Amino acid sequence: MSQTGLENERAREAGEIARLLSYVLILLASVALFFAATGIPASRFERLGAGAFPQIVFGAISLVAMIAIIDALRKIPGSAYGRFAEQTVAWARRRYLVFISLGALTLYLLAIPVLGFSIASLVFLFTLQMILMPRRPKSILIAAVVALIFSFGLNWLFADVFTVFLPRGLL
Amino acid sequence: MDDFLTGAAQIFTFTTLAYMLAGSIAGIVAAAIPGFTVTMAIVLTLPLTFAMEPLQGIAVMLAVYVGGYTGGLISAALLGIPGTPSSVATTFDAFPMARNGEPGRALSIGVWASFFGTLISTIVLIFAAPPLALFAVKLGPWEYFSLIVFALTIVASLVGDSVIRGLLAGLIGLALSTVGTDPLLGRPRFDFGIETLEAGLPFLVVLIGIFAISQLVSEVEDAKTVRSGSTLVTGAIDFQTWKVMREVLMRPVNLIRSSMVGVLIGALPGAGGSIANLVAYDQAKRASKTPEAFGKGEPGGIVASEAGNSATAGGGLIPLIGLGIPGSAVDAILMASLMVHGISVGPRLIMDNGDLVYGMFIAMAVSSLMMLVVAVCSMRLFLRVTEVPKWLIVPVVMVCCVVGTFALNNRVTDLYLLIFIGIAGYALRALGYSLAPLVLGVILGPIAETNLRRALMTDEDPTLFVTRPISLIFLVAAVLSIAWAIRTHLKKNKTPERSSDATAS
Repeated sequence: MSQTGLENERAREAGEIARLLSYVLILLASVALFFAATGIPASRFERLGAGAFPQIVFGAISLVAMIAIIDALRKIPGSAYGRFAEQTVAWARRRYLVFISLGALTLYLLAIPVLGFSIASLVFLFTLQMILMPRRPKSILIAAVVALIFSFGLNWLFADVFTVFLPRGLL
Repeated sequence: MDDFLTGAAQIFTFTTLAYMLAGSIAGIVAAAIPGFTVTMAIVLTLPLTFAMEPLQGIAVMLAVYVGGYTGGLISAALLGIPGTPSSVATTFDAFPMARNGEPGRALSIGVWASFFGTLISTIVLIFAAPPLALFAVKLGPWEYFSLIVFALTIVASLVGDSVIRGLLAGLIGLALSTVGTDPLLGRPRFDFGIETLEAGLPFLVVLIGIFAISQLVSEVEDAKTVRSGSTLVTGAIDFQTWKVMREVLMRPVNLIRSSMVGVLIGALPGAGGSIANLVAYDQAKRASKTPEAFGKGEPGGIVASEAGNSATAGGGLIPLIGLGIPGSAVDAILMASLMVHGISVGPRLIMDNGDLVYGMFIAMAVSSLMMLVVAVCSMRLFLRVTEVPKWLIVPVVMVCCVVGTFALNNRVTDLYLLIFIGIAGYALRALGYSLAPLVLGVILGPIAETNLRRALMTDEDPTLFVTRPISLIFLVAAVLSIAWAIRTHLKKNKTPERSSDATAS
């Protein structure tokens, strides 16, 4: 097998393990919520109480998750588990921009109530564009203009045209 | 007839038409951007329609919808990247044709096929929706519940490469729909003492988080392509509008068959344009005398794919108008927009709000005409949109999502929910769960629960689900659909699984 083929195979195995972990998580959560649902009081007026439908759903999730776990355990070779951590780190490193984007979005959403929509958006737009772009004077200028339009411009559009007031912030 | 005229009078006003034109342009532009789907365009339009009259709002959203199904073909033809999931099959033939030096012809064929597809589906809609609605009024909660069960199985069988993960995603969607007060008696469930969750998870926040955020961040997965930001568009754009129209009309069988495939698939709850274009393409290839020409720039392939996906627009409205069940995520948003205006969507819609329904039909036809005019006049301009680099589009669309989420309820807590759902959505996507079943689970969950409990409240006998004939038909269809899904899945996986087993041992 070629070098890249082996790499792909290992990445695929690591993906299977990650999926196995997700099945286990889903199973645990669904079992816990299944029992939480039994605690929802039933009603005298109907055969199924408010808890019945969630119980059916969470029961079904547990069942499917168990099947998925058995299926996954069958597929993954024992040696793959040792390489999992290393593969995960490699995967995350390849996609670092995804994590940066999600992180930036989180910070942005947390900043909106404090800074207000316009300022928070301006900072978020300009910073994220700077991170993602090939930095040249022309693209930086475009980024600045776009950031202005979609922060203060959008705020103006919503407030004055649609009369929807975006968060103003504490400042 | 009165209703028809009232509806027409409301559509043919200057403001409505102007808004629709803007919507049509917005839909085409949005869908032309890879990673920006029709669904997202509609989601972002929704808050803008709150201030309008109900029919006006719906007409604008329909214009975005129809425009969006066409816009996807622009990047499909010019870049080989489907602008939306519903134009995947368009890339098979339109891109080779564009590469062979005929990008204008490829675009024009697609535009005309979309136009006729929409028109045919509107005609079917006009004739099929009222009788179906009258029939649907007679359905009880038993039939509804069985129908939803059937709809859920279609989702699991048609989406994604793993039936198990498709099922899990659908079930997680159902589980999410149980958060908040229960639909019949109003008992609090799973709110964990968090105030935002008491009223349940807002559907559109789930939708934006799951689809838009996860899609956007997955666009920046490959750091190299994002950083370079180059484009592929080359070649002269020559449209030959009328010649191409004749070319499309010379394939009446293909056109009508693909449109009917689109209408039928669109009418099934859970399926949509993303499936219709592939099925229509497949059918056209099988029926063709020269199947080997497909994939190398065969006009028939473009016609099939584009007529197929555009026809789902009308098809999807059939269950929405007839049964009050959204045929796709987009129809769910249309439904939400009607509900925001206080119009209850269901079998009685056509009786109580006839003018609105006929107005929707007219709006569909007008939208397709507008789409045609806009597309033909300004295709050159739209080429610019596909040149917008990812580093610009990703942050900007993120801000649009944030605005859309906030404008929905004017609640800052919804924003925290958005990032939470967005991260969860990306995690699921990265793990290979298909997200469409999840969203449909969220939509269908409350309908399923309400009807199940209502049925058992009306009559305690659970066997009614299998003894009432229509309910039985739906349940049998559900079983068949699952069996079919398992069969296709096994067939598809036979070869690759064997080889992977061999390497593993």
